[in-house]
Amino acid sequence: MLIIPAIDIIGGKCVRLEQGNYSKVKNYDCDPVEVAQGFKSQGIKFIHIIDLEGAKEGRSKNLKTIIDIANQTGLDIQTGGGIRTFEDAEKILKSGIKRVILGTSALSNPDLIKRLINEFGADRVVVSLDSKDSVVMVKGWTEKSGLTLNEALQTLKDTGLEILIFTDISRDGMLQGINPTTIKKVLGKGFKVIVAGGVTNPEDIKQLENLNVYGCVIGKALYEGKIKLTQNNLAKRIIPCMDIKNGRVVKGTNFVNLKDAGDPVELAKYYSQSGADELVFLDIMATVEKRDTLYALVRRISENINIPFTVGGGIKNIEDIRTLLGNGADKVSIGSYAVENPNFVKQAANKFGSQCIVISVDPKKINEKWEIFIKGGRENTNIDAIEFAKQMEQLGAGELLVNSLDRDGMKTGYDIALLKEITNSVNIPVIASSGAGSKEDFLKAFTETNVDAALAASLFHYGTIKIPELKQYLIKNNITIRT
Amino acid sequence: MIQIIDYGAGNLRSVQNALTQLGIESKVISSAKELKTDCKTIFPGVGAAGMAMKELNERGFASAIPQIKVPFLGICLGMQLLMDFSEENNTDCLKIIKGNVRKFQTTVKIPQIGWNKVEQKNPANLIFKDIPDQSYFYFVNSYFVDPEPENRIGTTDYGTTFASVINKDNFYGVQFHPEKSGEIGLKLLNNFCKSC
Repeated sequence: MLIIPAIDIIGGKCVRLEQGNYSKVKNYDCDPVEVAQGFKSQGIKFIHIIDLEGAKEGRSKNLKTIIDIANQTGLDIQTGGGIRTFEDAEKILKSGIKRVILGTSALSNPDLIKRLINEFGADRVVVSLDSKDSVVMVKGWTEKSGLTLNEALQTLKDTGLEILIFTDISRDGMLQGINPTTIKKVLGKGFKVIVAGGVTNPEDIKQLENLNVYGCVIGKALYEGKIKLTQNNLAKRIIPCMDIKNGRVVKGTNFVNLKDAGDPVELAKYYSQSGADELVFLDIMATVEKRDTLYALVRRISENINIPFTVGGGIKNIEDIRTLLGNGADKVSIGSYAVENPNFVKQAANKFGSQCIVISVDPKKINEKWEIFIKGGRENTNIDAIEFAKQMEQLGAGELLVNSLDRDGMKTGYDIALLKEITNSVNIPVIASSGAGSKEDFLKAFTETNVDAALAASLFHYGTIKIPELKQYLIKNNITIRT
Repeated sequence: MIQIIDYGAGNLRSVQNALTQLGIESKVISSAKELKTDCKTIFPGVGAAGMAMKELNERGFASAIPQIKVPFLGICLGMQLLMDFSEENNTDCLKIIKGNVRKFQTTVKIPQIGWNKVEQKNPANLIFKDIPDQSYFYFVNSYFVDPEPENRIGTTDYGTTFASVINKDNFYGVQFHPEKSGEIGLKLLNNFCKSC
């Protein structure tokens, strides 16, 4: 089922009405473009935008804002409110908006729907039927149409209409839950039905899924946090990273000036016991010196800890991966070789599953864009990092470990802009890396971007931040963290 | 003694290491000829369903596993393969537990990677012995099992509420990796080996 968040607009701002009553406006006072971006970052592909002023006055009043949302987010949009003529609809459909929603005009002018469907296709025209006690309502729900629900459905069927939005006005904005009995009245009539109004909690969504409706529009419940788009308790992960050279842990500043920070196995044990959610080991010299990762070390680590760990460095064939997994690694991280030979990522994902293929993204900002570097940060490939991230997802990468050559070892915070761009571009987990210097930096990564994990190295190795304290701090700030 | 099924793609070492930490002996078997139907079995799964079933067929496990009469634990893909059918590579599975394996909707990131909570639907089941309700376990999955309600003994929320622990007769399945879930995961493995 398609989950379609709703944005209602008055005067260029997001608002919600209760039961279609214009005197009960709740102003959420936020920029609709930002709200739409927020939905997008949570995996939403389609949004529902109603121009409430337009609906009341019978002509579009906020079209510019709506086109802005479409252009700036790239999301598919269905929009309605005041679309009464062919020209109104044409203007919208030619401006990059996926679907127009017709209400009033549809019932009094079935020929308009027919004409629009003939011109633009049945996928781009949707009619919203607003019903209260089985009577169809019009003009922003302020007037009765005089038609019963069944009469209206027959009229619409005759136009060739395929997609229908059904709103139960008695439920909309009331946070009372859906009424399956009413919804069933419009099912099985040959329409793809999108239910709007009254979707209040995850139970409602489950009920609608069981009813086999095509989609559901969710408004107030989202704005007020009753429904979370990512309905899950998945904890944000804290990951200490150990850069390995000659079997020892090292961490340099901007990849030079390496310092010895301890024995990997001892550190791994310590971190596992102190609440680390996962560990990453990178054989940083492997790429440069064309060496394989030390399998024996991996084996020793796996015998001593039982939390997941990822191993990277110098991976360039399927046998490498098999040996690392066979020695107890849960995931492998592929760096330079994924850039040089992207098809290898596909091979590896097919062989072992996406879930164990982590791609290390090593960008540096060059002239307002991020470019991918290889060979331990020594060679610029001029590949755009955002495009690279998308390509890796397509090829089957299960996770991205996003570094920043600008931030590495600087302790000035993660590169929030980079992480935002990447998490908005892919739908696989992203690990923030490079630049953490304080507890606030972790919080910022988790609140301002949609990353799933945050990684740090020397900060943990030298005890500047202790993991239990960091976790308590994040929990206090409402981040979901495993204890 | 616990036998661990090896079909060539799984991360067996982690399971073996976990059992070693618990003081439990284990033996890796890589073909049906070595399989004992009266020996408790752990079936760890990594990789894709299509290739895994192909290997299980070639190694004779596909027909041997359903004959096992003592407690059997499928982990992750090993759990999914107990079902009828998987949407992953449109694969016919072992058909031991009724229901299909479905992919997560794109409203959540896929794969699910990380620590998530398990709500115990049947806390009396011995696999949950001494494990607090809502404990965190480590998950790595893009697909989830959708069994009959009576076989769901633990559930987890990730976009949808899915069965993360299942049980039918002597067959158990966990979607998470107990061998990677710290102390609480070890406790669950210990329960399977000693109490189930």
